Amino acid sequence: MMQQKKAGFLIILVLVLAAVVGFVDKDHTKSLQKFPYRQMGFTKEQAAAYLLNRFTFGSTPGQVDAVAKEGIEHWFYQQLAGKESDTSVNNLLQELHIDAPDLSLEDMVNTYPINGEVVALARKMGIIEKGDTSISKQAYREKLKAFMQQQGFKPIAELERQLIVQKIVRAAYSNNQLQEVLTDFWFNHFNVSLTKPVCTPYVLAFERDAIRPHVLDHFDALLLATAQHPAMLTYLDNAGSVSNNNPIEAKRLERLAQTLNNDNNTFKKRASEGLNENYAREVMELHTMGVDGGYTQQDVTTLAKILTGWSVYPLFKNGPAYQLIEKTTPQQLEKRGFVIQNGFLFRPNKHDEGPKTFLGKYFPANGGYQEGITALEMLAHQPATAKFISAELAKHFVSDTPSTALIQQMTQAFLKTNGSIKSMLITMVNSPEFWNPNNQHAKIKSPFALAISTIRATNAQVNMPYQIFNWCNKMGQKFYYYQAPTGFPDRADYWINTGSLLSRMNFGLAFASQKIPGININLPALNNNHEPESVDAALKIYSAILLPARDNTQNIQRISALIHDEDLNQKVVQAANQHNNYASIQEMDAKVSTHMVQPIQTSSPPPSLSQIVGVIIGSPEFQKK
Amino acid sequence: MDRRIFMRNGTLALFAAGIGGVPNFIAKAATTGNKCSKPFQKRKTLVCIFQRGAMDGLMAVSPYADPNLKMMRPTLYMSPAKTEGSMIDLNGYFALHPSLQAFAPLFQNKQLAIAHGVGSPNPTRSHFDAQDFMESATPFNKGTKSGWLNRAVGLMGKSTTPFSAVSLTNALPRSFYGSNEALAISNLNDFAIQMRGNLLAGKLAANSFEALYDNASSQLLQKTGKESFEAMKMLNVNNLKQYAPKAGIVYPNSALGNALKQIAVLIKMDVGLEVAFAESGGWDTHVNQGTENGILGRTLKDFSDSIATFWEDIAAHQDEVTVMTMTEFGRTVHQNGTGGTDHGRASCLFVLGNNVQGGKVYHQIKSLAKEDLEDQRDLPVSTDFRSVFSAVANTHLNIHQNNILFPDWNGNGIPIMRYS
Repeated sequence: MMQQKKAGFLIILVLVLAAVVGFVDKDHTKSLQKFPYRQMGFTKEQAAAYLLNRFTFGSTPGQVDAVAKEGIEHWFYQQLAGKESDTSVNNLLQELHIDAPDLSLEDMVNTYPINGEVVALARKMGIIEKGDTSISKQAYREKLKAFMQQQGFKPIAELERQLIVQKIVRAAYSNNQLQEVLTDFWFNHFNVSLTKPVCTPYVLAFERDAIRPHVLDHFDALLLATAQHPAMLTYLDNAGSVSNNNPIEAKRLERLAQTLNNDNNTFKKRASEGLNENYAREVMELHTMGVDGGYTQQDVTTLAKILTGWSVYPLFKNGPAYQLIEKTTPQQLEKRGFVIQNGFLFRPNKHDEGPKTFLGKYFPANGGYQEGITALEMLAHQPATAKFISAELAKHFVSDTPSTALIQQMTQAFLKTNGSIKSMLITMVNSPEFWNPNNQHAKIKSPFALAISTIRATNAQVNMPYQIFNWCNKMGQKFYYYQAPTGFPDRADYWINTGSLLSRMNFGLAFASQKIPGININLPALNNNHEPESVDAALKIYSAILLPARDNTQNIQRISALIHDEDLNQKVVQAANQHNNYASIQEMDAKVSTHMVQPIQTSSPPPSLSQIVGVIIGSPEFQKK
Repeated sequence: MDRRIFMRNGTLALFAAGIGGVPNFIAKAATTGNKCSKPFQKRKTLVCIFQRGAMDGLMAVSPYADPNLKMMRPTLYMSPAKTEGSMIDLNGYFALHPSLQAFAPLFQNKQLAIAHGVGSPNPTRSHFDAQDFMESATPFNKGTKSGWLNRAVGLMGKSTTPFSAVSLTNALPRSFYGSNEALAISNLNDFAIQMRGNLLAGKLAANSFEALYDNASSQLLQKTGKESFEAMKMLNVNNLKQYAPKAGIVYPNSALGNALKQIAVLIKMDVGLEVAFAESGGWDTHVNQGTENGILGRTLKDFSDSIATFWEDIAAHQDEVTVMTMTEFGRTVHQNGTGGTDHGRASCLFVLGNNVQGGKVYHQIKSLAKEDLEDQRDLPVSTDFRSVFSAVANTHLNIHQNNILFPDWNGNGIPIMRYS
């Protein structure tokens, strides 16, 4: 039994290696080892549809057939390479005036300063007084607004809007779909949030600089990039975590004590230690080892000490800290042990230089900046981390309850390749466990995935992407605003509840009937401009377009029966006439559309194509992927 | 049959006339064999508010008279003294944060009680885990599938209304997980299938969806779909306006304020609400939590104003309603180096109702001296949260099977409620 298992594992390893070689040499992709879908009972089309469901935000019309024809392995490795042209995305972003993503972090912070900074500067410049109660709130706001314009500042809400819009545009139209899906996944794994004002200016850059370049990298690179990004440093408070246990600080305190001349209380206040455990805890619990990964409260406190002094470089040019640090040249700072990288700043004078023991490893005194790197590298390579990350990926890409065998295979791949995310995904798709037919359509789309898959499935043009964000919020996913460091729970029962389900149905109806501003769809064009001959034909044709490679027979029958139930239509009309309650319903509709206040027809017209498509989008099948 | 309920509900009347079949909850009522064939029995309502992020109980209801507090919180210490924050003294030992002013009259007339030193026996300082444990009410067992409020609803007997358990949140909270029906709605107005300007098409779409979800292969989608349609038919969003707060009753325009306002609507509508759930955020005050007018002060003000406004809004129903707040843990007794407090152990909670033995702070706190603290840093848990939860559930909801509500726990409730 054991030998069999080992042999099976070896085969997988060989498969993986063959796959990796194929991946490196593009010309060899034709001879790629086939993914084991046939023996698991998938047709080629079903396999293509399954892959597209998992590694894109939904297939576009005809894409399932195209990928099946091209070869699903070829398509997958092309997505792993992530080098497809995205001219149309870039053009659309330009048309929509999305320019913030092109700014350097420094320019971003100085173009979109947070309100606190604006107010402080306005006070400093005498534009407004502290605690100015003589003027109304309105006048105060006007003053600040004028001040911002004069300084060339833009409101931070605009930066938030651009972040949201670019995500929707890329997810809907990028040809590098796997990149987008993984960006969404890793951002949620390393969640930061627009709900925290000090973090807000950095969130766009976080996704762009810390997440996006590393989505298929080695895990330690991704971890380090997030750990040193100002968004994470502010979101989980490490930026303010400092220590006195340090020779430089000791000298300063000595001087301070002398100048204060035994004023103990003032001294205590100004010398107080500032250890903050927030990031140290969450990086182990949520980013690497998992809550049951085997670390202790002592490890949390020690890691917090190891990371003291890991802070944010003051980039706002009008802020006091910037002016202070700019007095010293970068060379001088480096000499004194400061580390500056983009928005990251290591402050050697605030670092705990005592000896420490973390996860059983001894860190001698005076470890400085480097011991933080060492500790994070340790975390990135823990077997507990390999297992935790494997499980997270499998839950996202396979099912809410992935098999232990699959997680084990991926864990092994992680440990053998120093945490190569690419290798883990390759192992995943080469595993028969991935192709268990029960996994087909086993995932429930998040509201974002639902909205984007709708856009893709209908070839919709979206001219006001922010409207999609409003709908996602209604359906239960206000992305970029999830407050807790856990990110959105990645499972069906979190997304599906009574309220959100009705919103999903309403989304389908509103989308298909183009009641969402800025949505442009051409439904007849999806069927080569052939008008379906009957309601039944329309149901059949559009179910096949929107839900390719699925058996839709039963659902078509169900709706068809309803539409043909003349009796039902009669009943609706009769009841409406009999009961004065109807008036109130009519009133509600009258508010949005006055032409509804008219005599009630005795038979309703057949449903329009947009209604049929709306029902398909809101149907249970379309919620699954 | 209680005609009144149907007459005031337009959509229901439509269905009573035989369109689209009889809603399931009415069908269920008809088959229960209950002589009183009301769709549901009138029951009491428990409103739970989860303060996510861990409220600093030592600042909300401060044991200001303990000399240790001032030493450990040099810049955060507050007391009833004018120079130290003008807290509202409760009993010479504890004082309310001035931002909790709205609670003071409720405490004085004994409708509001405070339990202090409350928390979980599991010492985790992870928000996620601690919330999980508090909501499942099994502090050492992560595998518990159901939430304690879902079990509570189950123990209250099969309900025939889809509104017995309602959470005013986008997603179902952990407390509501389980086999008994529970709803999550963030806005009651969204509770309809809407085809703008086309009523008949809307009806047809609604019927199509109902048929499709009834046939869904995914159990989750099938079950949730059924619950959604039942609730939609009963609520009828057209009638919501009738239950808006009276003039002069103004809720804070905040997430909690809006949630409580809608819970009040459900209570006034008499749709059979038994357990309601709302959330309040912003309690994770690691940095500069401030004193009178700081970050925590603002959050506390929103919290207490929302609850007090709700209480006024449901004045006619106060006998049937109890409000209980909860938070996953407290915060360190020491302030940290960034003007805030880190994750600690015990905090406090509030219980409001006419059946509450109020005007009292229930606690077993020894002192804040280092030797009395947990790990020499945190207010230890001297009252298990289940001692409070069980007291409220046993008396107000009249359910007594604590072995089901709180498995693996043999403790006793604290006398915070009057047995009627």
